[in-house]
Amino acid sequence: MEGGYDEIISDNPFFVAFKTEYLELFQHCITESWVVCVPRVGSLNTRVFTIEDYCAHVLVPSDELPETHYTTLTEKQVTIANKVITLDITKGLPLQSHILFEETFYTEDFIKYKVWCIEAPLEPTSNVGDNDVTKENLCSINDCIDLLWTQAAGRQVLDQIDLTVQIFIKKHPTLPVAIGNLKDAVSELYTLCLQVALQNKRLRDKSKTSKHILENIKLAVECYMQQLLFDYIFKPICTSCSYEDSHLNKKIRNMCDIQLRDLDIKKELYHAVPKAKQILSKIDSYNTVLEKVLCLKQALNAINKSDCSTDATLLTADDLLPVFVFLLIKSGLPNWYSQLTYMKDFRFSGIGKGDGDESIFLITTLEAVIEHIQSGALAGPPDPESYYYESNPSEDSMSSCYQRRSSMTESTSTCETTSREETLEYVFDLIKANHTEQVQSLLERNRIHLNNMHDNEKSAFKLPLSENDVDDDDDDSDVEIFQKLCHPLCNCKKCCQKLSKNLLKTSPTIYSRDSHGLTPLHVASIHGKAAIVDILIDMGAELNATDLNECSPLHYSASRGHQNALLLLLHSGADINKANIDKNSPLHVAVNNGHLNCVKALIYFAEHGRKQININCCNVNGNTPLHLAAKWGYEGIAKLLIENGAEPSLQNRNGKSAFDLAHNLKILQLLKSSTPNLYEYIHITSLDIKKLNLKNINPFTKLQSLKIKSNDRNNASKTVENLKRIERILQAISYGDIKLACFYMNINYENYINITSEFKESLCHPLCECPNCKGIIQSTLSDFDVNFCDSNGYTPLHFAARYGLDELCKILILNRANINIKNKKGQTPLHLAALHNKTVALHYLLDNGANINAFDLSGNTPLHDACAIGNIGATKTLLSFQPDLTMTNASEKTPLDVAKQKVHLTIIDLIEKYLNKTSIYK
Amino acid sequence: MSSKISGTNNFKVVLLGEGCVGKTSILLRYIEDKFNDKHLSTLQATFLNKKLNINNKRINLSIWDTAGQERFHALGPIYYRHSHGAVLVYDITDDHSFAKVQNWVKELKKMLGADIVLVIAGNKIDLEHERTVSLEEAERYAELVGAKHFHTSAKLNRGVEELFLELSRAMLDRSERTPTAPVPRALALAEDDEAASTSTCCWTTPSNG
Repeated sequence: MEGGYDEIISDNPFFVAFKTEYLELFQHCITESWVVCVPRVGSLNTRVFTIEDYCAHVLVPSDELPETHYTTLTEKQVTIANKVITLDITKGLPLQSHILFEETFYTEDFIKYKVWCIEAPLEPTSNVGDNDVTKENLCSINDCIDLLWTQAAGRQVLDQIDLTVQIFIKKHPTLPVAIGNLKDAVSELYTLCLQVALQNKRLRDKSKTSKHILENIKLAVECYMQQLLFDYIFKPICTSCSYEDSHLNKKIRNMCDIQLRDLDIKKELYHAVPKAKQILSKIDSYNTVLEKVLCLKQALNAINKSDCSTDATLLTADDLLPVFVFLLIKSGLPNWYSQLTYMKDFRFSGIGKGDGDESIFLITTLEAVIEHIQSGALAGPPDPESYYYESNPSEDSMSSCYQRRSSMTESTSTCETTSREETLEYVFDLIKANHTEQVQSLLERNRIHLNNMHDNEKSAFKLPLSENDVDDDDDDSDVEIFQKLCHPLCNCKKCCQKLSKNLLKTSPTIYSRDSHGLTPLHVASIHGKAAIVDILIDMGAELNATDLNECSPLHYSASRGHQNALLLLLHSGADINKANIDKNSPLHVAVNNGHLNCVKALIYFAEHGRKQININCCNVNGNTPLHLAAKWGYEGIAKLLIENGAEPSLQNRNGKSAFDLAHNLKILQLLKSSTPNLYEYIHITSLDIKKLNLKNINPFTKLQSLKIKSNDRNNASKTVENLKRIERILQAISYGDIKLACFYMNINYENYINITSEFKESLCHPLCECPNCKGIIQSTLSDFDVNFCDSNGYTPLHFAARYGLDELCKILILNRANINIKNKKGQTPLHLAALHNKTVALHYLLDNGANINAFDLSGNTPLHDACAIGNIGATKTLLSFQPDLTMTNASEKTPLDVAKQKVHLTIIDLIEKYLNKTSIYK
Repeated sequence: MSSKISGTNNFKVVLLGEGCVGKTSILLRYIEDKFNDKHLSTLQATFLNKKLNINNKRINLSIWDTAGQERFHALGPIYYRHSHGAVLVYDITDDHSFAKVQNWVKELKKMLGADIVLVIAGNKIDLEHERTVSLEEAERYAELVGAKHFHTSAKLNRGVEELFLELSRAMLDRSERTPTAPVPRALALAEDDEAASTSTCCWTTPSNG
């Protein structure tokens, strides 16, 4: 590593003695530009030198190879290779010595001479001094621990640093999130640790002998401290960088299709990229700044490896930056900005060394790369769609290709070459350029043409094709072509050609696809040309057409963030849950690329369009949309997903939940807020109303919300009023005030009481439906629809079940409440009753036909919930209604598994007994 | 003698200039004879440390190559901040590259004021017959903005050494004239003052960084 060892040559005893004792010889060396070698301080244990000693350390360049071959003044041959001096001696092994650094000296007259500081003297006989100087560089945390251990002869120093850090952690149970404060706190700790280290006598003595050792000790202390502290301080750093990180992630996600050639990267470097990428992606696993910087360095050096074979090309900064940009985009790390901040601001030992050292250069390079991506200068590949034109054929080659084709079919013709208008690419270009009318007219014309062809074909089959009466039927629509013929019935060669050419015409239509399977609707969606999407849909384009990656137009509009196109597609009935080849739904791709507007559109559309959007669906890696939002730090999206029933505890294929993927505290808090606590839901509801009001004020969001609400014919104020009313009712239920709730719902509670008490006997059965009884009950019913729900999908019955108000349950069910209605999380009232251990309500609901095996969006049945919480009563009740115990939730667990996982022994017991009983019974 | 050794001056120098004016070649030429190291690492082509000793004043030069392409122009400030010197390179056969140098000068003066030493290098004088940038104009401009002008050829090894020597001397001058010296804080760490006196150069208040 460059710039590792350092000492002040003019203080070196050998150098000083040489200059003072043999000034003449020294001057001669300067004028002849001979190289003076100076053994590092401490490598010679004597201060008395002879003239031979000096002569042995003066190198005279040879005439033929002045760069590599030298002779000493003692007539010995010396060769230099890779910073190692090799001295040929007559017997034994050749003597070798590392060149530690070179220093170029200038005299007052600006005559230049070079001094090499070498590791060991160039004389086999000389007295060799202490050799334990740590000339080597620290490369890892182990090196650092090693240094502190050996130099202090024991682990007291390490223990003391441990202790200091522990005290620090105790003193600051929660660290400040602002980087400035955090940095100050940690740098104070660093100083403390250094003090502790230097209290050790051995270390203090050693650090006095050489500045280099002091530097190494500083670095080692810093690393050791960072290693201990990392888990503790990195989360706060991530939290304060969460905004930058999520923005960077959005930028990166949206250009993850980028290819090496899009960045003008030299071809020679291509093959080194995978290796460099592999190295760079490990940066996350290092805890210390030292190792992280080293990782950067190794990655860059890996790129350089390619140069060894062909050293004709040397890497310049212009070559290096794009490669680095590419590596960063492809690395898949969700927190580059935090990494950068950590490296930049928590590197204390390097301070004061000046801003120029190599680590700073590397960190600055990383910063420049991040800045470059962040600035949007890339904004995706220059032509984002270039990947579907593998080689963009020039016009000439294209027409020649067409010529070839046509000449094959009509070899003798003087054919007019098919115009460019007829190619699919032309249509795609028109779409990209947003030429709405042209696209429409062209596709319309082609469609009519094709229809005619179709009709012709039919008629051709009807009348067996004989050469003389090709067209007996007078086809109006083909007038154009027939007008071109010599005579409508002409049979000359020319006319026949014209007719056949017409049949062979391959004009693009809305159904045409290119080599990637993209239809015009795909292309319009990719580019977000809403007007064209509209036209294409009107013309009957296939909505769920998929390309080779099984992506529908909806996927593309979601991944590119084109809300308008997305909404058009949704309104026309595109499949909202369509999975592509990686099992990603449109929601996945919109979340992954951080398009909040599209996520909103998808969710709100599903809500108002009464469509089921599967919010917890898994892609091929088992990731739900919430996983992706948590990983990339998209706060707004994560919030939206959670509010709409996303479940943060679901695990992906690697056994990671969204909690595990979240890398900053903000996201974590958000995820935690989704615990199944109804009070919070009410809370959120009122928040939502506030938000709706806000939206009306903010003109920008107003536009969006209006667009979303456009299919919801109510105007905003009415919605708010309704929401308020719903909230009032639900709140009343949560207080257990059945009377009030009934009043709000226009249900005559008194009447109901009377019926149940007075006419109980007159009813055949409390739930009897015979006309006689019905008449009595009818009087208690209101025309109020009790199946309304709040913004989270909770109906009064949900609340009644949740609070165990069995009386209200009865009233509601009598009032035609849907007993199996689901909220946004897919939970039925039965789920809530099970969750909150309301056994009476459970019983009542089950008696009245609630589905015991209903599952919510996470795949949990009521029994799952009861087992997870450990509600013994609820479990007993549920078991008495023969639930299906084999049902598994989204984590592939049966209720018994869940209970075992949570170690609810009584419940395990209950279920196992039940299982035994049923198996015996069987 | 020992009184002069107040420590090492760490100077950061950036190389600025358009894409193919030969910034990297100048850098490589400057270090070419270094230990005859066949395996130049990537970084040595973009980053170089060189130790100089001018009149017993130690200088540690860190020379940073920067990307010259237009698309990376916006990254300039990230690279040149905190630098003590800048070498502005243009190609004498390319008018545009000289205009670019003028842009850089304007930007540097604006962002860093007088704190930075500027040196302008007209590179590729081996192609003198293709010269399009007028020599007088270039020198007049350099004088106007207070920068030294050098004629260099990385190919013929002309002017490169002189350029860096002059730059180093100018930076030394400036750092001595304006004692912005990061006043070493006598750290309480080492009570024995003799240790402190030799090692203070590397201690500064952390907030200075």
